[in-house]
This record gives sequence, C-alpha cells and structure tokens, in this order.
Amino acid sequence: MSQSININDKNYPIDVEGDMPLLWFLRDKLELTGTKFGCGMGLCGACTVHLDGQAVRSCVMPVSSIAGKTITTIEGLSKNGDHPLQKAWLTNKVPQCGYCQAGQIMNAASFLATNKTPSSDDIDTAMQGNICRCGTYQRIKQAVADAADEMYKEA
Amino acid sequence: MIISKKNSIGNQSPVQQNTVTNQSRRKFLKQSGLATGGLVLGISLPQTTIAGFKMGEGSTFNPNAFIHIADNGDTLIYCGRCEMGQGISTALPAAVADELEADWTRVSVKQGEGNEEKYGPQATGGSASIRVMYIPMREAGAAAKIMLVAAAAKVWGVPVEVCVAENHYVINKNNQQKLGYGDLASLAANEPMPENVTLKEKKDFKYIGKDIARHNQGDIVVGKLTYGADTKMPGLKYAAMTHCPVMGGKLKSVDKSAAMQVKGVLDVIEIPRFEVPFGSLGGVAVVADNTWTAQQALKKLKIEWDLGKHKSYDTKAYKAQLVKNVESPAQLAAERGDIKKAFAEAEHVIKATYTGGHLSHAPMEPNASVVWVQKDRCEVWASTQSPGDIQKVLAQYLEREPQDIMVNVTMAGGAFGRKFKCDYVHEAAVLSKAVNAPVQLTWSREEDMRTGYYHSINAQHIEAAMDKDGNVTGWLHRAAFPAIASLFNPSLDRAPASALGDIDSHPFGIANYRSESGEAIAHTRIGWYRAVYAIFYGFAFGSAADELAHKTQKDTVSLLNSIYDNNKNTQQTEQVARSKGALAIAAAKSNWANRDTLPSNQGLGIAVHFSFNSYVAMAVRVEVNGDDIKVLEVDAVVDCGQVLNLDSATAQMEGAIVMGMSLSLRTEVVFREGAVVNSNFHNYPVLRINEMPQVNVHFVENDFKPTGLGEPGLGPFAPALANAVFAASGKRYRDLPFKPMSM
Repeated sequence: MSQSININDKNYPIDVEGDMPLLWFLRDKLELTGTKFGCGMGLCGACTVHLDGQAVRSCVMPVSSIAGKTITTIEGLSKNGDHPLQKAWLTNKVPQCGYCQAGQIMNAASFLATNKTPSSDDIDTAMQGNICRCGTYQRIKQAVADAADEMYKEA
Repeated sequence: MIISKKNSIGNQSPVQQNTVTNQSRRKFLKQSGLATGGLVLGISLPQTTIAGFKMGEGSTFNPNAFIHIADNGDTLIYCGRCEMGQGISTALPAAVADELEADWTRVSVKQGEGNEEKYGPQATGGSASIRVMYIPMREAGAAAKIMLVAAAAKVWGVPVEVCVAENHYVINKNNQQKLGYGDLASLAANEPMPENVTLKEKKDFKYIGKDIARHNQGDIVVGKLTYGADTKMPGLKYAAMTHCPVMGGKLKSVDKSAAMQVKGVLDVIEIPRFEVPFGSLGGVAVVADNTWTAQQALKKLKIEWDLGKHKSYDTKAYKAQLVKNVESPAQLAAERGDIKKAFAEAEHVIKATYTGGHLSHAPMEPNASVVWVQKDRCEVWASTQSPGDIQKVLAQYLEREPQDIMVNVTMAGGAFGRKFKCDYVHEAAVLSKAVNAPVQLTWSREEDMRTGYYHSINAQHIEAAMDKDGNVTGWLHRAAFPAIASLFNPSLDRAPASALGDIDSHPFGIANYRSESGEAIAHTRIGWYRAVYAIFYGFAFGSAADELAHKTQKDTVSLLNSIYDNNKNTQQTEQVARSKGALAIAAAKSNWANRDTLPSNQGLGIAVHFSFNSYVAMAVRVEVNGDDIKVLEVDAVVDCGQVLNLDSATAQMEGAIVMGMSLSLRTEVVFREGAVVNSNFHNYPVLRINEMPQVNVHFVENDFKPTGLGEPGLGPFAPALANAVFAASGKRYRDLPFKPMSM
C-alpha cells in the first residue's frame, strides 16, 4: 500500500487520482455520504470534516495532500451520536432539511475544541462559512452555546 | 372523504367473541392464526391547485394504505407528501397519531413512493399539504381507533361504550383491563370501517399544536439520512452535465475527444431539449465512475451552442422596460367601482413603482437523482416535490405508462419550489438508458444557479388616492412580470389576468380599484419560488401603505386599520378581521406605539400580508449607519388557524425571515447576453449566520382550520424591512434587492 488516509479510525488506501477532492473520495469511493456537496468552492461549508482535528472544506482538499493524515467525518464524530453538539442540535430542534447540518456540526466541533467560552460574536465569526438556506441560524447559535456549556461546565 | 379498509391478513373468519372470553390474549391470537399481519388503513384526498397548475392532475381516488399497525404494536404511518425540510412528514403523521390515540414513540414514518392512486395528490407546493390533508388524515386515525376499540370490546364481550383508547391501549373502564394496539391490530382489521367518525376536541389534543421534534432529526445529526444525492447501489455510474446557457438554444457541436480520454470516463452524451413541461433544457453530460471525474471531464468538452432567440436577454434593460410598461396604461385585468372619480376627488395621491429581480432557489442540495432504466422497469430515487411529474415526464420520454415508473422519494436537501420540476431526473433517465446502468446525475452549483426556473423579475406600479377624511378611496395596481404560465404557453406576452388574482382579492378591498397587466415576455424559464407572487405583491402593498401613511402624516398601523375597516366586501369580513388581528399583535409585541423612543439610527417597520390562506404580520427593527443596514429584531405574528406542529411552524417563520433577508438585501439573478452571470455563493450571497437577527414568532390562538406556512412568511418581510429602513434613515428602497452586488 503506497499512501493511505485514516478516516474515522480506519485506514484507506488512496486508490484514486491524487487531485480528487477528499469530498468525492468520501462520497463516491467510500460511500460515506454524511459529508455533503454544496458548492465545490469552499464557500458553503456543507462538506466540512476534520483534518487532524481542524475543520476543513473537503471539496477543495485534494486527497494527495492529506496522505497519512487523520480525517473525522460526521459519521465518526461520536460513537453513539452523543457528542454534546449532536445532543444540543436535537434539544434545540435545529435541522429543517438537514443537508447542511453535518457541516455545521463538524465546523462547530472544531471551533469549540479551542474556544471554551464562546461569545455570540465568536460563534458568528466561527460559523459564518457555513450556509443554511432553510434559515436555522438562530437555533444553530443557541445549540453551539448550549454545547459549550455542556462541554465545559466543569471547567 | 372516503375511507376504505384493506385487510392485510387475508380471509380470516369473523371473530366469535364467546370463544375468547377465557383465553389469554396471546393464546387467542395464536389460535386464530393472527400473529402476523395487522391493521392497514387507506384514505382518499381532494385535489388542490397552486398558481394555475392543478396538482395531482389525472390522479384517481382509489384509496389505499397509509396507516399500518403491526401485531407487535409498531405503527407505521406513510406520508405521501414530499419532505424538503418543512416538516410535513412529522406534522401530518402526528395528527393521525393524535386521533388514533397512538403512543408517538411507537410510531415511525415512511415517505410514500410516487403513487397518487395510493396517496392522493403528492405534488407538494402552494403551502397546501396541511390545508388539504389535515381533516382526512385525522379522520383516518379516528377510524382506525374506532376499529381497535370495537375489536377490544368483542374480546371482552362488552359494549364499545365501556372501552376507551389511550396511548396505544384500549382500556376496559369496568375493570381497567388493557389490550395493546398490537394485540388488537389483526382483529381490528376485521371490523367494519366506521361510516362516521367524531374528531377530538382541541382541548384533548395530545400532539396537534404541540412542540414535536421532526422524526428524522436523529438521523440528520449523525449523517445517516439519505438525500437524492446520497443514493448508492451496485453498478452505479456518476454523471455531470452542462446546459445551453440560453433558454431554447441548441447544441451546434461538441468535441468530445479530450473528455473521453480522461481516465474513468465512460461516455459523453448529448441530451437534446425535451419540449414537455419540466423536461430537460438540453445539454451535454459526461458519465464516469465518480462525480469528480465526470465534472473534470466536462470542463474538457469544446462546445458550440446556437444560442437562439433569447441570446440578448439582459435583466438590467429588461427591468427598465418593465418599469416603463407599468408606468403607462396596460391591459385591464380587473376593475371595480369608479377609479377615475376617486382620483379626481382625492385629497392626496401617491404613485410609486416597485421592482424586483429574478431569484434562484439555491437549495443546499443541488438537483440530484438516480435513475435506472431497464428494459421493462424504470426506477428513480430523487429529491423531488412532485413524483407524479417525474412519472409523467419519464413516461413520455420512455414511451411507457406513468405507473410503470417507480419513484422513490428521498429527503430533499431543500427545494423551495425548484424540485417541483424534474428536468434533472429526466436527464438522469436519458443517461441511464444510454449507458445501460443506474446513473446518478448531480448538478454542480453553477449549473443549479444557471439552469433554473427563476422567480419572476417584475415591476409593480401603485397609485393610491386618499380623500379629505383620510380614507383610501382609489387603488391602481399595474404589474408586469413574466409569468409561470409562460412555461406552458411560451407565446404569452404578459402575465394572464388570473395571475393578478391575488392582488384583486387582497383584503384591502378598496372600493374603486383597477389592476392591469403590462407586457412581459419570458426570456428564461419561470417557476414557483417559495411564496411566488406574494413576494412582490406583498412588497408593493406593504410599501405603498407605508408611503401613503408618511405622506399624509398618519401612523402606518392606523392607516392599515382604516383601509381594512373601509372594506365593505362581506366576503372578506374574516380576512379583514384576521389581518387586523395579526397586525395588532405585531404592533404590541414590537412596541410600535413607542417607536419614537428608539435610538436615532434605528427604525421600526411593519407590514401584514395574506397569502396561501394564512395571515402573517411582521415588525422589523433595523439600525442604519450610512449604507449599512443591520436587521436587529423581527416579530412575526402568524394566524394560520390551528397550528399543527408548533416547532415546525416556528421554524418556517425563522426560515422565511432568513430567505426574506437574502432576497431583500442582496440576492438577484442577473442575465447578460441571454445567460445567467451568477455562478456560486460568492456572487449569489445568501444570508449567513453573522447577519441573523433576533426572531420572535407569535401565533394567534383561534379555532380556524389550519392553513400552511411554507410560504406565507415571505410576503410581509420585505415591505416591513423597507419601511423600517425608511423610518431609520429616510431612504426609501423600492427595488429588490436593496443592495445588489455589482456583477
């Protein structure tokens, strides 16, 4: 095996053209369809995944550039779907169509890993790369704030 | 309404109650051979129409299954209406469950496949689902409950009057014995369908009107819910496509050689325009072993188009022409009273022209579907608002019968009217037939934006007359816009009078009134966009009323109330009262009376609009600094009669405000030389989270029958915002969007 990527704790060989963006490797090769295609230009955030813990736009990330790295997708964010953000998303009944929400959650998870006490402005700044056309922004803001409280209440 | 019953367990002999009195439930069920099966109920539904299009046309009324109670009590409720995030597949099943006295935690929901004989009209638009389905769905739930109760009464050998259904059980009131719905389901299937059902009273509702989470949210947050774009199957091929940039243009030539050499490319296929409503606009597609390869190879095609007769379409020039067309006499649409006299005797007259651009729906999931055409079978997996139209179009294309096209309706990643049209599904069918494999065609964002069915570019000219006592006595409304009807009749030179019906019947009901339709030939495909004509009619009515109030130094709310009070049309008494009612609450919630106490750079604007049988008033508070408009807070007041699901109803208003902000402030589809200039979210800048205002949604409590909410939130938003900006800054915006990007 020449090069591989670790995705959700499993190693996958890179058996596609190196310029294929991670998004399509995930969706069409591995059939991990939780990560969505929205724009193809890194403008909407629907394709957000974690690269070594950092939120990145997988639609503009060639697989060859991430050989040997660790990727987490929405399918691997938590074992039982119980990440504080996933729970907060349910409590606040955030999704409408839901198509953008995996990207929203992955982006928020990366953000909350570094900001334990986000202000409203912090959330706006961190989340403004993720478009929701259904208009769930008010609930996203509340859910991110709730998840931060849950994650860091001991701190 | 017709309810019929299907017995899923075949020909069981009628249950003899004396044989069961001394047996345990389990034993009885076993002995009777009823351990499998259950109760399956069906229903038929009335027809409905939206914007001149009869939905579910040609569908029949043969009832079929949509409630299934299995013998373990698991209850499955099918939703025949399409789900695109509006929450219908939770709201309607919850209404069934309420009447059924089901335990909601035992209920699962399944999206019905395309089958209008089975589910009734499935074309999902016009905010019609709740309006049309609420009573029939409840009646079906109630009927099933009556049958379950009757079955239990037989088991116990007691009159039905001593039995009561509660939370998935029937209870014997004499001795508190209980039988579960699972135990009763197969027995209930042998009970006669009740002729009449009594529906629950509002005070007894368990799920209707309550805050119920959508059934699919758990799958969404873990990335498990599958959309049209997520359909996978063995042998699946992937496609990308480009269309002729100008409506009606044709492919002149295509050099496929470079594309064919790309590793992984299977074929390059020309798709001619299919001239039926919702057929492909025509173009060229690449089929490959993954979407990325198809997209890359597509870029290597050398294509020459014959652009055809719309190749000089330019929206800037067109809009200017529409303004001219509404600022001079146009074709009469409707008239009442004596408008000439009203204007001749007026103390005050205002004249204003309001305009708006084309809009692209831009759902987050671009058009996507999988189609597999086989010799004697055709199966579709699609994000769609209208599986019946897919059946119709593919049947025409394949020369088969509509019922032979199997349509699996997936969750749609947003739709807003775009996915009513199935051009993208038709294209996938062409490709599947060509390569003899299942094909997933996913449009790029650029194709989605450039090959739309756009919201109409438009101009609205209002002239209003007020007499010396402050009564609005005359109203002229001239509208010019390419109409949706042009899809079906391309020779139309203007919107037909029927498309102006919503302004003629607006509850302002001004006594001396005239509407006219100005010339507006369509140069692109026009389609239903969330709220449709209510976007620009609402903007014109709500802005003009505010302008008149300012000109005559009146309070906008008082002026609106006086207009409504002067409406002497007895057919509109309810519309007047409900419009005024919503407006009064919006004024109270937003502290309208004390708006003078706001900081000098802030302003409050208000508007109310009636559309799709619902009433929404909005009060918008803004802060304006120079050219910068910041929306701070919105109070939305909704009168949709009985609310079905408080959570989704609230979400619909939040969403309408976000979409309203996008289209009021910035988004506009621009055509130049016949083609769309916008391409992606950088030049179609929809609202992002950092501009989200505080939204407060309030519902009017009443007992009117429920009406839909997918669209009605858009009508009042733009005028309330324009009025707020005027209050804050003195600047009047009459053109949507207020702050277009320079392209």
